[in-house]
Amino acid sequence: MARNFFTLMRSSAPGATAAAEPDRATAPPPPPNVKQDDAGGGVHLDPTLAAVRHEITEAVDMALQLRNVSAFYGTFQAIDRMTMPIPQNRVTALIGPSGCGKSTLLRCFNRMNDLIPGARMEGEIEFEGRNLLDPNIDAVEVRRRIGMVFQKPNPFPKSIYENVAFGARINGYSGDMDRLVEDALRRAALWDEVKDELDKSGLALSGGQQQRLCIARAIAVQPEIILMDEPASALDPVATLKIEDLMRELAEHYTIVVVTHNMQQAGRVSDYTAFLLAGEERVGRLVEFGPTQEIFTNPLDQRTEDYITGRYG
Amino acid sequence: MSAAAPSAQLSAFAPRVRIRRGASVAFMVAALLAIAISMIMLGALIVEIAVDGAARLFTDGGAVDREARGGGIISDLPTPAGMGWMTWAVPVAILFPFVGPRLVNALVPGLPRLAERAMGFIVVAPAAIFVHILYVRFESAYFVEYAKAVGIDGASGNIFQVLGEASGFQIVRLLLAGILVPLAIFAAGWFWSHRMRKPSLIIPAIMIAGWVVYLFMDPWFLSSFPSRKPAEAGIFSAVTGTLYMMVITAAVAFPLGVGAAIYLEEYARRNWFSRMIQVNISNLAGVPSIIYGLLGLQVFVRVLEFERSVLAGACTMALLVMPIIIVSAQEALRTVPPSMREAAYAVGATRWQVIRFHVLPYAFGGMLTGNILAMSRAIGETAPLIAIGALTFIAFLADSPTDDFTVLPIQIFNWVARPQSGFHEIAASAIIVLMVILLLMNAAAIIMRQRTRTDW
Repeated sequence: MARNFFTLMRSSAPGATAAAEPDRATAPPPPPNVKQDDAGGGVHLDPTLAAVRHEITEAVDMALQLRNVSAFYGTFQAIDRMTMPIPQNRVTALIGPSGCGKSTLLRCFNRMNDLIPGARMEGEIEFEGRNLLDPNIDAVEVRRRIGMVFQKPNPFPKSIYENVAFGARINGYSGDMDRLVEDALRRAALWDEVKDELDKSGLALSGGQQQRLCIARAIAVQPEIILMDEPASALDPVATLKIEDLMRELAEHYTIVVVTHNMQQAGRVSDYTAFLLAGEERVGRLVEFGPTQEIFTNPLDQRTEDYITGRYG
Repeated sequence: MSAAAPSAQLSAFAPRVRIRRGASVAFMVAALLAIAISMIMLGALIVEIAVDGAARLFTDGGAVDREARGGGIISDLPTPAGMGWMTWAVPVAILFPFVGPRLVNALVPGLPRLAERAMGFIVVAPAAIFVHILYVRFESAYFVEYAKAVGIDGASGNIFQVLGEASGFQIVRLLLAGILVPLAIFAAGWFWSHRMRKPSLIIPAIMIAGWVVYLFMDPWFLSSFPSRKPAEAGIFSAVTGTLYMMVITAAVAFPLGVGAAIYLEEYARRNWFSRMIQVNISNLAGVPSIIYGLLGLQVFVRVLEFERSVLAGACTMALLVMPIIIVSAQEALRTVPPSMREAAYAVGATRWQVIRFHVLPYAFGGMLTGNILAMSRAIGETAPLIAIGALTFIAFLADSPTDDFTVLPIQIFNWVARPQSGFHEIAASAIIVLMVILLLMNAAAIIMRQRTRTDW
């Protein structure tokens, strides 16, 4: 039944795609700092996939370079040929309405989608000269170097110490574990609150503390990139603020990619923003990517402007 | 707190308020009733003391002239036993919460209240219990000798004889000593202090357990081999055979069953093959146990030449309970939320590391629970063991897994099939022993499930 449903949706895709792009003709001509459709690295791009990519003016290395990344769950296509960079030691926010493929894209970065039966990824994500999506690349190694923090705080039902030490231990860390744990907890701005009760269960902490514990857990593996999937959506405003401050601090050492539903949050914490949108056929596509400042003050695509100003559903 | 430091007040945590748990009203009513009835019965006891003579109760005089009173063995049983409990348990119920701490306070003034209570408990209760245990021990030993002397069948004095021959007042007193007095002690502890609520269960539980054992059988029943005479027959070889077989069954079935569950839940792809295995496991759970017995007879007894040994029985039982263990272990694995697996994968754990360090530890309580429940199924199975030829008359203990054996259900089956009524009575006692073991196992499973549950 589900398969028939999706097949049907796919077959109606061309018409729907056309209907979903009504503003293309009326969009204003791009200013000189905007590239259109040529970041595919020589790969031919479907003109209906046109995304606005602002020029990155500062001198920054790219942690990841996405080229035509698509993801499928069975026969259902979740994201369609996304092409964009992820700048190093910066916070990149993925924004967009529900179901536009933000989380799916995030889970492509550390091959988390491999765990879902029937999930499939196409295209290329370049990380240190290698393609992360290559089946010959060890997904376990990828996940060690690209950490992840989830929407709902999910500490292990073990002690705070064990929560942080686990990742390092299974990865064969042989240094001073106490020091590593302390360092990770300090960086996650949690040390002062828990230093006297490291034996306490991670589940006994408050929601905000749990999320910071999860961040400490991710840091302890010493990754290069930290992916955050709506890390503050289950938290109260005070805890949210702490997480946001933390993201800014962590950006000095790590590349951070954060999925968020909260426009203000994206505006506050991120350096770069990618706006994703799903058409009527529910296939997520990149609409606009660029420095957060420009996306928020000078969006070039009408749909981006509508979404940011709150006119989108 | 004064108004001088409002900010400190705001930032401080609210003081913890002790709140009575729900449903305690019903419990309080029940406990008060129990205390009231105990008091009334205490009055009745005092009347009886007056009638019967105080010496009979506080010494072993009651037992000495039992024959002179001309009662049957049973009509005498509840009297000393019941009196024993009344004699010591009621004072404990009264002294322990009220007098004990004051006694301590008088002896060593100035202690904290909690220490007073604890020491009052330490002083009063064990002394009373110790004296009481001595009393019951003596009574029990005397009673068995007496029964043997007068040559009565079914000397184990089980509950059916007791209820059949006891007078109405004796039965009431029996209930009082077995239920109400322990309840009164529990209630006293409950009301005395919040901290005493759980500890105050211990004494009543021991009392009731002791009573149950004492009522249903004499200790010789547990430690005697089967016999041609019902008065001398016991279930020693059957109980040890049951325990021996259960240990081996668990050792065989648990690793295999858990391994199969891990494979099916964590490793197997969802294709027709794994679905077929899954369906067949469910089917196997519904196969009649005698079929397993025939399978065990051919495979273990004949082909593998285990003979009619503990090992053959345990392997057959392991096959029988394997589907239950697999299905319950799968359920336990499924209760580990996906977010835990994702969290472990996200720090670079391999699939085996995720299972080994996270999924298995979190699911282990549930797996053990399922295993215990499977064992409680196996403990009552008779047909497969009869099919593989377990013996019924075993007058020795198995020292190796290849020895002959018998188990409780087979022993019971054998005794029930005998024509003599004495065997029927000891069969009833053996059934109660089996049931107590079963209930204990199930209680252990429930406790384990409660204690290992994680609120994610």
